[in-house]
Amino acid sequence: MDLTLGPEETAVRDAIRNVLAERLPLARVRALASAEPGIDEALWREAGGLGWFGLGLPEAAGGGGYGAAEEMLLFVELGRALTPGPWLGTVLAVHALAGMPALAPVLAGTLCVALIDDPADTLGDGARLTGVARGVADAGAAEGFLVVGAGAVRYLPAATHGLAVEGRPSLDPTRRLGDVRFAGIAAAPLAADAAALRALATLLAAAEAVGVAERTLEDSVEYAGVRQQFGRPIGSFQAVKHRCADMAVRAEVARSLTTFAAVALAEGEGAAPRHVAAAKVLATDAALANAADNVQNHGGMGFAWEADAHLYLKRAWLLEHALGTRAAHLDTLAAPWRRGE
Amino acid sequence: MHLRFSPAEEAFRAEARAWLEANMPRTPRPTELGARAAYDQAWQRRMYDSGWAGIAWPRAHGGRGATLMEQLVWCEEYARAGAPDISTLFVGLNHAGPTLVACGSEEQKAAHLPPILRGEVIWCQGFSEPNAGSDLASLQTRAAVEGDFLVVSGQKVWTSFAHVAQFQELLVRTDPEAPRHRGITWVICPMDAPGIEIRPITTLTGESDFCEVFYDHVKIPLRNVVGQLNDGWRVAMATLSFERGTAFLAEQVRLSRRVDELVALARATPGPGGRRRAIDDDEIARRLARARAEVDALRAMTYRSVSLAARMGVPGAEASMIRLFFSELVQRIDLLAMDVQGAPAVETPASRWTELYLAGLSQTIGGGTKDIQRNIIGERVLGLPR
Repeated sequence: MDLTLGPEETAVRDAIRNVLAERLPLARVRALASAEPGIDEALWREAGGLGWFGLGLPEAAGGGGYGAAEEMLLFVELGRALTPGPWLGTVLAVHALAGMPALAPVLAGTLCVALIDDPADTLGDGARLTGVARGVADAGAAEGFLVVGAGAVRYLPAATHGLAVEGRPSLDPTRRLGDVRFAGIAAAPLAADAAALRALATLLAAAEAVGVAERTLEDSVEYAGVRQQFGRPIGSFQAVKHRCADMAVRAEVARSLTTFAAVALAEGEGAAPRHVAAAKVLATDAALANAADNVQNHGGMGFAWEADAHLYLKRAWLLEHALGTRAAHLDTLAAPWRRGE
Repeated sequence: MHLRFSPAEEAFRAEARAWLEANMPRTPRPTELGARAAYDQAWQRRMYDSGWAGIAWPRAHGGRGATLMEQLVWCEEYARAGAPDISTLFVGLNHAGPTLVACGSEEQKAAHLPPILRGEVIWCQGFSEPNAGSDLASLQTRAAVEGDFLVVSGQKVWTSFAHVAQFQELLVRTDPEAPRHRGITWVICPMDAPGIEIRPITTLTGESDFCEVFYDHVKIPLRNVVGQLNDGWRVAMATLSFERGTAFLAEQVRLSRRVDELVALARATPGPGGRRRAIDDDEIARRLARARAEVDALRAMTYRSVSLAARMGVPGAEASMIRLFFSELVQRIDLLAMDVQGAPAVETPASRWTELYLAGLSQTIGGGTKDIQRNIIGERVLGLPR
């Protein structure tokens, strides 16, 4: 048993962190937010060239030969950097399209895919997709859609006849949502396992939340160490220090459980789905609470639009509503007890 | 990263599980203190005779010398089997013993380590004083050097099991002129020395395991000083770090079982308002699910901490975060149990759940309050200014 990063895992993490720090400072994230299509296409191609989208795909299939643990590391970094764009859908599409001709542009970063999570099959479970998927993250920028239903997984290019996208801003200025309409589109299910893809997607959403929780902790600690009031750094006051300590514990809880869940998933452990659900709950707790505490720790500046603190909080709320809310996951965890298992 | 244990570790697990299954005491632990101590000592002796005593102690001092991973496995199997808490032997096995291993003289080790491992002696701790709680370094119990003796006068408090202990790890002030961390000495105090008076303290649980200890010109031989005179703070700190590495491994297993039992209770108990079962109440179900998630997180944190210690050789800073999270998690689960029970929570004799709730209030006080823990995290982990 070893839950620390080995040399290779550290190298993967550092490489991703360095590229994102260089290419995507927060000023760039803000600039992308105010222009179409809202994602950095050059970074997308670079990420494709660096193999980020195929980290978890076997080398024989054109991927990096890693697994859920390394994919988790990628998404923690994406969360830390508030990276815009449909990363989750694109990484999942790589898994779903493995071995198919449609894989190549997705893997190369020339085509990005948004995820439509439809666990209740509201778009239908038969041969055709009908209806509206609301609030799909990055729908406007996506060139393809991966629809993960209760049992079936389907892929549709954005240009498919009968598919219409209506994009709009979201609470999070750095992420856009969209409604995707399906007018009775025939789409054959792929061979991919919907439950396995949803578990991976939930894990990676949790990882992104871990990134938000860690980054807001670091921002608060840095600010509390330099901001002076009453002639002292505010971090010397217990009220602020203790709030930072609580943020640190939440981040540690979220990071540990998400890491455990990622390794359990990678090893095919039977209890992995439970750990993934638990990780999504506690990582979202940590992201929301730490981001809100980070606003508080920055005082008046924390309330200002020009400061970054609110961006993390808003991203955390988008993550709460991606791949199952906390309440939904808690209900899933409690369901066997209520049924009598 | 991986979660699998090696074949050797799995073999160790099977051996530990089989031995515990065959040898664990089957009778419940008695409530009367003297009988409880005898029960703990008999169980410790049994472990000693089969080579399971002092799992983390070096082989040279009679321990098992287990690797960190083996310690983890042993703690999990011990808790999984429901083996009894070492309780009255805790200070000797987990505190005084390791301190002697790290800082004691050869003579002290030879005299004290074997009886501790065999469960023959009970140790207590003499650290806290009425005016030295969180601020331990302000302790005032005075010891003057007179010939070959330290002569001790003063008072200690919150001393668990002082009335059944043979020895005490005692911190005294030997140099009142020195800066406060530098005038303290760590000394082995025989509890039968003339001039010691012990008064039990009844706690809010109604039990009297705690004591006040008064010292009136108590003569302790100078050869009982561990480390150097006036170097006791360093000696005490050496052990506090030892305590943390694997301390929560067994706890996460115990807490996990407590959540299982609480789920069973919630299925058998009427919910709020007397309608349906407690488990059918959404708030209670979600709090139980969150407790399950948090106990899983505690395991993940301890695994990560042990991994780091195995890689780095020493426990890391995350131990202070695990400790704070654990203590507050216990209290959240205890509070949930009070809510699940409903009105029987306030009846006497107190239910096991109510007893746990009351006893659990000490989790965020003993061994450093939660406020002190937050200071430690803020200053030593995050590097915030003092």
